[in-house]
Amino acid sequence: MQVLDRPLVVSGELAWLGGDKLQRHVEHPNDETATIADGEVTQQRAGKSPRHFSLSRAPQLQVLLDSFVALLSGDAGRLQQAFEIRQAGDPAAAWTLTLLPRDAKVAKTVASITIDGDGKTSRCMRMQEADGDLAIDMLGPLAAKMPAQPTREALLALCQGAH
Amino acid sequence: MRRGGRVTLLVLWLLALAGLGWMVSQRLKVSTDLRSFMPAPTTPDQRLLMEQVGDGPGSRLLLLAISRSCPAPALPAPAGLAHPAQRASCARGTEPSMAGAGQSDAQLAALSQGLVGALHGDKRYSQVLNGSFDLGALPSGLLPYRYLLSPTLDTQRLDEPYLADQLQQRLDDLSSPAASLLKGLLPRDPTLEVLKLAERWTPAKSPELREGVWFSPRNEALLLVQTAAAGFDPDAQQQAIDGIQHAFDALPGHAGAKLEFSGPGYFSVVVGAQTRHQADWIGRISSVGFIVLLLLAYRSLSSLLLSALPIASAALAGIAALTVVFSEVHGITLAFGFTLLGVAQEYPIRVLSHRRAGEDAVQSVRALWPLLLTAIASACIAYLAFYASGVNGLKQLAVFTIVGLLVAGFSTRYLLSRLLPVRVRDVADMRWLAKARDLVDRLPRPRWIPVVVALAIILMLAVAPGPFWQNNLAALTPLPQDMLLRDARLREALGAPDVRYLLVLQASTEQGVLALSEQLQPKVDALVAQHAVDALELPSRYLPTVALQQARQQKLPDRASLQSELNQALQGLPFRPDLFQPFLDDVETARQLPPLTPELYVQTPLGQRLAAMLMQRDGHWLGLGTVSGVHNVAALQALGADSGGNVRLLDLKVASESLVAAYRTRILQALLVASVLLVLTITFALRSLRRAWHVLAPMTLATFLVLAVERMMGIEISLFHLVALILAGGLGLHYALFFERDTGDPAEQRRTLHATIVCVLSALLVFGMLAWATIPVLRAIGLTVSLGVAFHFCLSILMAPHTHASED
Repeated sequence: MQVLDRPLVVSGELAWLGGDKLQRHVEHPNDETATIADGEVTQQRAGKSPRHFSLSRAPQLQVLLDSFVALLSGDAGRLQQAFEIRQAGDPAAAWTLTLLPRDAKVAKTVASITIDGDGKTSRCMRMQEADGDLAIDMLGPLAAKMPAQPTREALLALCQGAH
Repeated sequence: MRRGGRVTLLVLWLLALAGLGWMVSQRLKVSTDLRSFMPAPTTPDQRLLMEQVGDGPGSRLLLLAISRSCPAPALPAPAGLAHPAQRASCARGTEPSMAGAGQSDAQLAALSQGLVGALHGDKRYSQVLNGSFDLGALPSGLLPYRYLLSPTLDTQRLDEPYLADQLQQRLDDLSSPAASLLKGLLPRDPTLEVLKLAERWTPAKSPELREGVWFSPRNEALLLVQTAAAGFDPDAQQQAIDGIQHAFDALPGHAGAKLEFSGPGYFSVVVGAQTRHQADWIGRISSVGFIVLLLLAYRSLSSLLLSALPIASAALAGIAALTVVFSEVHGITLAFGFTLLGVAQEYPIRVLSHRRAGEDAVQSVRALWPLLLTAIASACIAYLAFYASGVNGLKQLAVFTIVGLLVAGFSTRYLLSRLLPVRVRDVADMRWLAKARDLVDRLPRPRWIPVVVALAIILMLAVAPGPFWQNNLAALTPLPQDMLLRDARLREALGAPDVRYLLVLQASTEQGVLALSEQLQPKVDALVAQHAVDALELPSRYLPTVALQQARQQKLPDRASLQSELNQALQGLPFRPDLFQPFLDDVETARQLPPLTPELYVQTPLGQRLAAMLMQRDGHWLGLGTVSGVHNVAALQALGADSGGNVRLLDLKVASESLVAAYRTRILQALLVASVLLVLTITFALRSLRRAWHVLAPMTLATFLVLAVERMMGIEISLFHLVALILAGGLGLHYALFFERDTGDPAEQRRTLHATIVCVLSALLVFGMLAWATIPVLRAIGLTVSLGVAFHFCLSILMAPHTHASED
């Protein structure tokens, strides 16, 4: 859809609190925490009252939750349930996992989510939205390597390239 | 009368009945508007009450819930065992995976959307809401109006600091999980006026949105339907409900789901169906019993059949009179009327019992006639009290009964007597009857009985528990408890407004009402903040005054200045430079728009809501504020304290109680007048005060005794009890009149006893059956009349003058 003419960069922490609870804490550029629990999203911004809405209204979050929780808990069955899985690369070295959401309604917003990893660590999570927008999450050690003026090509190279 | 003559008379009578029947079927129009049975409102508050309760938006709201219909599992399925492939497991709320829950919720949501689509455009429904409209509240043609409707421009100008701040917030939103909600709106509405309006217009407690439609905490898809038909019209409501059910059944995939209704219209349909059902089987049993009783009493089929004729004539004549005098006959009148005609069956029974062997029925009737005539006249006077009550439904009842009784009496006297066969079994010869009469004659009849009974009545009335009068119309509903609980739950989930309180605003013009409403808004906001009330919606929430809209319009910048402010605000932000063209276009359009008036607004989906809140009455305009969740009534009432009477809180419950009380007073006054007339009539007919005493005293005592006994049982006396007391009194009057008569002929005394026993048994049969109904109204009438008949019978015997023992 392209409302922006240059990428928007935020940084923070993604935490799995066990079960179906996920917390996305953004530190920069503005302080904001989004907590997903029991099918509801609570968005807390510094100086503003918390906002609640149902998880079903934010398909990107649902995909995030499903994929993240499944990956971190090692629940293959759950992953299989929510996504069609395509694997590429070597499980011991650099690998790429492409997840396509099975739920038709979710697929209308999120076309696919691709995770690049190396051995046991995940490096990047790329969420391709159906309207053409792309959200790239650099995880763990890679997060510090975010360039000042990121472009799609540079980030893709970082994700898939050598350490 | 010769046989040929009798046959001719019978044939003529039957033809006349057929003719009446045909005329009635041509002219009869039955109405079902319950307001015919309510008294005419006199105060403006009562008028508003009648309108709101019958016609108001609250009364026309049907609450629908679509839920999964599945057999209840024996044990709740533990999480993890419910396999997503087994959709039929339908364990409530224990779905372990998102995908599983989504599917069944999606099905219900699809049904909800399907129902909305099916009902759209159907004239029976003025509004169908399921939550999916919230952002599309304004049709796109009216979207530019958002700048005139939203309160943003009251405090903010669309200048560079404001726009910069808004755009920064949008940027933050884009990086947050809420991005997908806003991306589509951004180019046209960067300041999100549409969202502000949507928030303003959704009820404070609106249900959770899942899959785009409303869901209750119990996983039911919720819908709100407003019918075009008034709440007080059970037939039209039935049609509306049937329509919804048909539409639902026609949806694909409805097999695993069930649709539940709730709301005033639905309740009136349920109550109507229940009443009809019960009245039906009770009617059937009592008719059969009645026939068996008459056969036993008279052992003659022809007597039975012939005695049906005066009653049939009475019924048809009554209805015919109604169609002549009134344009529409109410269904309840017909139902009630037939029970009141239970008095009419007395006349043929008296004639049948008083026949002697070898004597023409005509002669027996002639001997009986003065007494019968007195009885008829007194009954008619009693029912005249209904006519004087001023309530349309009761007036119809009075006309029906009076005409019916007169026709029954006169046709018995002049027609039936001529038709009865001469050869007849004289009941005076029955042995059990002789013994019974002996027993009755030998009963001690001390003179102190009336005094004792009177004292007992006073004592019982004094110590009876609970309030005397039944003021609460709601207590008369026979709705089962779980239906009421479900209604409360759905109403709470949907945030539907209270049915009890309304804030009434009054002004001479439409705009005046809206202006008053705007003035009141800050005070209302304060009350909500203090939790005195959960939510109070004023008309100006939906539509500001023309003046306010124009003020906002003035503050909108012209295109050139807005463009430059926007460009400055966009400095340093990553938005595409040409992204906000639609925004500039909309603001420019908004500057030229004529202010939005209620007439224009009515055509939008929200227009109906406003139309229900603004109305013209008696040359001025009224605005209604709907209230939800009242916690502090006094604070609400204080809102109107210094408005000079233009703002007041209407308590519909209090207004309805005052209506019921006024109603009752009028009827009691009419009854008083009727009693005076009755005393005069009886005294005149019997030509002796002492004899009148023997007739009126037992009747009066029995009536008050019934009242006292019912009060001791804890029953609060309602209008229906009063009606039933009058009916029982009518019957009791007949018993007293006949027992009082001392002809000196023991055979005649026996016949009197026979007739009275048959009458009492038949009355007990009909009304005793009614006393077992579950519907409070029917139960009240049945119980009261049964008790009345029993007490009247006993007291009439006990207080009758002593028969001269020397006669035996």
